[in-house]
Amino acid sequence: MKQTNKPSMSRVLRRRETFSAYLFLLPSLIFFIGFVIIPMVLCLYTSFFDSKLNANTPDVFVGFANYVELWRDPVFKKALVNTLVIVVVSVPTVAAFSLWVASAIYKMKDWMLSAFRCIFYLPVVTGSVAVTVVWKWMYNNYYGIFNYVLKGVGAIDNNINWLGNPSTALWCIIIILFTTSVGQPIVLYVSALGNVDASLVEAANVDGANNLQSFWKVKWPSIMPTTLYIIVITTINSFQCFALIQLLTSGGPNNATQTVMYYIYYTAFKLYRFGYGNAMGIILAIFIAVLSAFQFWLAKEK
Amino acid sequence: MATLQLKNIKKIYEGGVEAVHSFNLDIADKEFIVLVGPSGCGKSTTLRMIAGLEEISEGELYIGDKLVNEVEPKDRDIAMVFQSYALYPYMTVYENMSFALKLRHLPKDEIDQRVRWAAEVLDITKYLDRKPKALSGGQRQRVAIGRAIVREPKVFLMDEPLSNLDAKLRNQMRAEIIKLRKKVNTTFIYVTHDQTEAMTLGDRIVIMKDGWIMQIGTPQEVFDHPANIFVAGFIGMPQMNFFDGELAKNGEKYQLTVNGCPVEIGESLQQALKEKDVPSKKVIVGCRPEHIELSSADNALKATVDVSEMMGSEIHLHLNCEGKDIVIRVPSTKLSAEHRGGFEFGTDLKFAFPADLIHLFDPETENNLI
Ligand SMILES: Nc1ncnc2c1ncn2[C@@H]1O[C@H](COP(=O)(O)OP(=O)(O)O)[C@@H](O)[C@H]1O
Ligand SMILES: [Mg+2]
Repeated sequence: MKQTNKPSMSRVLRRRETFSAYLFLLPSLIFFIGFVIIPMVLCLYTSFFDSKLNANTPDVFVGFANYVELWRDPVFKKALVNTLVIVVVSVPTVAAFSLWVASAIYKMKDWMLSAFRCIFYLPVVTGSVAVTVVWKWMYNNYYGIFNYVLKGVGAIDNNINWLGNPSTALWCIIIILFTTSVGQPIVLYVSALGNVDASLVEAANVDGANNLQSFWKVKWPSIMPTTLYIIVITTINSFQCFALIQLLTSGGPNNATQTVMYYIYYTAFKLYRFGYGNAMGIILAIFIAVLSAFQFWLAKEK
Repeated sequence: MATLQLKNIKKIYEGGVEAVHSFNLDIADKEFIVLVGPSGCGKSTTLRMIAGLEEISEGELYIGDKLVNEVEPKDRDIAMVFQSYALYPYMTVYENMSFALKLRHLPKDEIDQRVRWAAEVLDITKYLDRKPKALSGGQRQRVAIGRAIVREPKVFLMDEPLSNLDAKLRNQMRAEIIKLRKKVNTTFIYVTHDQTEAMTLGDRIVIMKDGWIMQIGTPQEVFDHPANIFVAGFIGMPQMNFFDGELAKNGEKYQLTVNGCPVEIGESLQQALKEKDVPSKKVIVGCRPEHIELSSADNALKATVDVSEMMGSEIHLHLNCEGKDIVIRVPSTKLSAEHRGGFEFGTDLKFAFPADLIHLFDPETENNLI
């Protein structure tokens, strides 16, 4: 017989343990299947139909017609490009900024650390409607604080219609998204940096590394898993940027802030074209999955 | 290769804990110094101050002739082996060992040469491509030492490097460190709580307690002439036995009685007491287990056997002597055949102190009387 460190369980005991494990999992499993798996399958299924989700007008099977239409839809393309711009800009800046803040604050005294964490986490826990309303006021063309201040210091002559101008609107959205996205990464980085084995950093110092070198050679590899997690969740959140758009611009002006998520909502719930909307959802899911897989692969390579 | 000077060094941690009080020590070039003492006595703190990992609250530290209080660890030219080894987990053994050299921009072939030399010395050449987590404790220990010796530093610091190893490996590594020292000719400061390591490795040992230095001396000195009761008890296994005694000055001669029995004082001790002009007083008498002898003389001290431990070549007898527990070591060759295997519980015995091998301490100050 093979000897293992763990005392081996009798088969009866093990079976009983497996059974009770599934029993404990059951509630969340039912929830998961009912509200995640089934809708996902339905989504894929209806994407091949011209579906109105209406009993009076039965679904018509259209094959790949929805996908072909997507391919030709300039609004969808615009939405996809905007979404990718949001992701490509916000993911690295959120990760870099939160790492920078966390590095600066993680060694501070407890009360100061808590204060900073609180400040950066506040936008996350505040309702997005409340935050967005404040931003809407700040961006306002006539009485917004940005125009007021910039005009006051003489940086601009005429008020800028931040949200109404196609060249600034998307950036306004990105800035708000940024402020609501950095809270959690900062908290995660603070704890990751605090958990870096102090003796490794000391060993590097004794070995002759300066602060920058000991950061890249010791701390950075240690916090790599946290970085990966932050990048993946920020990517997913950025892809799914929706509430901001709905509250601020509804995708305008002239689709300048149209995102895939908002366009799905618009197509499905305003135009009642569920099949078409679901086809977009599938494309979005594929994008997110591929990008996340790529990020995991990249992290592993390093 | 450098001398070190620690002048009135003090460490007060945030929150007011004074971990090291006024530490004074001059270390010669290429000397092997061991800091030893019970856990929490400030050994690591002292070592970390030398490394620059902990700020020196007061006092001055010189490496060579240079005051280094404000010098960063990376510029002190020291190497350190940590108790936890602190190997970089994401680097291979080779990368771990070459890290410091790369930071110093040494040419590639010289780095390679030095790493391979160190690996050879420590017998870890086979593992150069492995990551630390694929190594056993003893192998990691070697890598940690290897990482330090490739550097050829001025001072080599080690903080309890063997305490995570099992007893057998510890003995083996201890012997290797002695060998290593001949190959890497530099100044060593070694921290341990283990008196055997201290005695076998150190040129001089510094015995610490509660942040104070108790005694500095060669292993021989601290063993033969412990400065106080703490050192006497700390150095030597099993511990030195202590008895309450009465010292009386009788004309030119000192007389000592323990439990009412007269104990002979050797000539050199008599002389030393006389020179110090020690008055008649109560004293604490110390005698090591290996020095106490069984005796049949009329005026010998009486005791009964509690436990008798057969250790092979000798027997450790735990005795009860008028309510005090004492230990004596008796070589089995000195015992009659019937007692080679030990003594029955409750056996009455008598023992005596050899005149030259007793130590006298002041009960109040706990310091050695001479
Ligand atoms: N960072 C710290 N803050 C406060 N007190 C400390 C700190 N590190 C160590 N000490 C205290 O200093 C004393 C000496 O510790 P240390 O040097 O680690 O002892 P040793 O290495 O001899 O076991 C201990 O009483 C310990 O509690
Ligand atoms: Mg220690």
